[in-house]
Amino acid sequence: MASVAEVKAAVDAALQQVSEGQAAIQAAREKLGEAQQSLAAALDGSGHDAVTSAHASLSQADQQLEECIGVTAAAVEQAQTYTANL
Amino acid sequence: MSLIQDLGAQVRAASDELPTGLITVAMEKLRGATELLMWVRETSQDPMGVPQLGNALEAAERAAGAVRVAQDQLAAYLSGLGLAADAAAPPDRDWKAGLEPPAATAAAGEAPPPGEKLGPWWQQRVAQLTGEPAPAPDKTGKSTEDTAELLRRVASGVRAGDKAKLGRDLHGASAATGLALSAVTSPVLHRLAGDLLGHEPRPDDVDRLRTASAGRVRSLLPGTSPAVLDTLLARICRAPVKQSPGQPATHPADSAVTASVLTGVLLARLGRDAATLQPDAPDPVRRAEAADAR
Repeated sequence: MASVAEVKAAVDAALQQVSEGQAAIQAAREKLGEAQQSLAAALDGSGHDAVTSAHASLSQADQQLEECIGVTAAAVEQAQTYTANL
Repeated sequence: MSLIQDLGAQVRAASDELPTGLITVAMEKLRGATELLMWVRETSQDPMGVPQLGNALEAAERAAGAVRVAQDQLAAYLSGLGLAADAAAPPDRDWKAGLEPPAATAAAGEAPPPGEKLGPWWQQRVAQLTGEPAPAPDKTGKSTEDTAELLRRVASGVRAGDKAKLGRDLHGASAATGLALSAVTSPVLHRLAGDLLGHEPRPDDVDRLRTASAGRVRSLLPGTSPAVLDTLLARICRAPVKQSPGQPATHPADSAVTASVLTGVLLARLGRDAATLQPDAPDPVRRAEAADAR
């Protein structure tokens, strides 16, 4: 890296990828929610262990995606602070 | 259709719609961003968000794992109902999730995309990897800001064995478009490797895939390190990635470019052309036999 402008451009390019990743996570959460609703409607009344476990796994997946979004926001803030101080 | 068949179809449809592809795309975007920041901060003490991105990536991986577990549990439920056909592993419909055209293009007069100032940096690395110098501006290949289109062009050049075209297409891309190849190729590589092997790639398939691809990758990218290809193959096969302590950060362009060429090599081994990577192209049928990967 030869200049501050290039360092900033590289960090900006990385943040652009983070932003696209965040958008994909948000879209994934929406699809996950739709699938959970479809399954809840179809499997209403089932006490099957596999169904219970599947519901739990999908809830866990959503929680992880929520955590992912939160942590990426912190990463973006830290990277932006770095470039602001260059 | 009986009531139980109808139930099975609904459960199967919901299972198939689970967003494994989107999570994979997100993971690869975060991985690409992490590689780029790690490379930028190699000599800096500032964490620059890298540890947080590592945590985010782990969270996304756990989410992907939980979704796969849910799919397995739903399959077990359907199997228990006697719906073996509905319980069968769903077709992978998400492998082209990253190949859709960009949702919106920047209007004229808007700010240039991030990374445009990295053009010389990108071209310099492409020249090192391919051995093809940056062409004169008027001889650059038709540029694109669509990473999926760039991947198809690279795959086309690889299929034709045209190293000069490969160089022109990569040189003609902006750094941001080129770096995004890492994210776009990941699910595609997993799918193509599975088609070549005849089964989902497993950790013990790394050697077979290396045998099937390393020579051609090396001939088209003489400047790439074997470690970059090994890392890509390990990710495809969900095998642990070997990292030497103290090893310098990989140049972010290396994995992006090598992944795109590997995509072309696997397509060629399957006898498919780059048009099969169009989002609306029919899904090829996976072969049961895997002679080409032997």
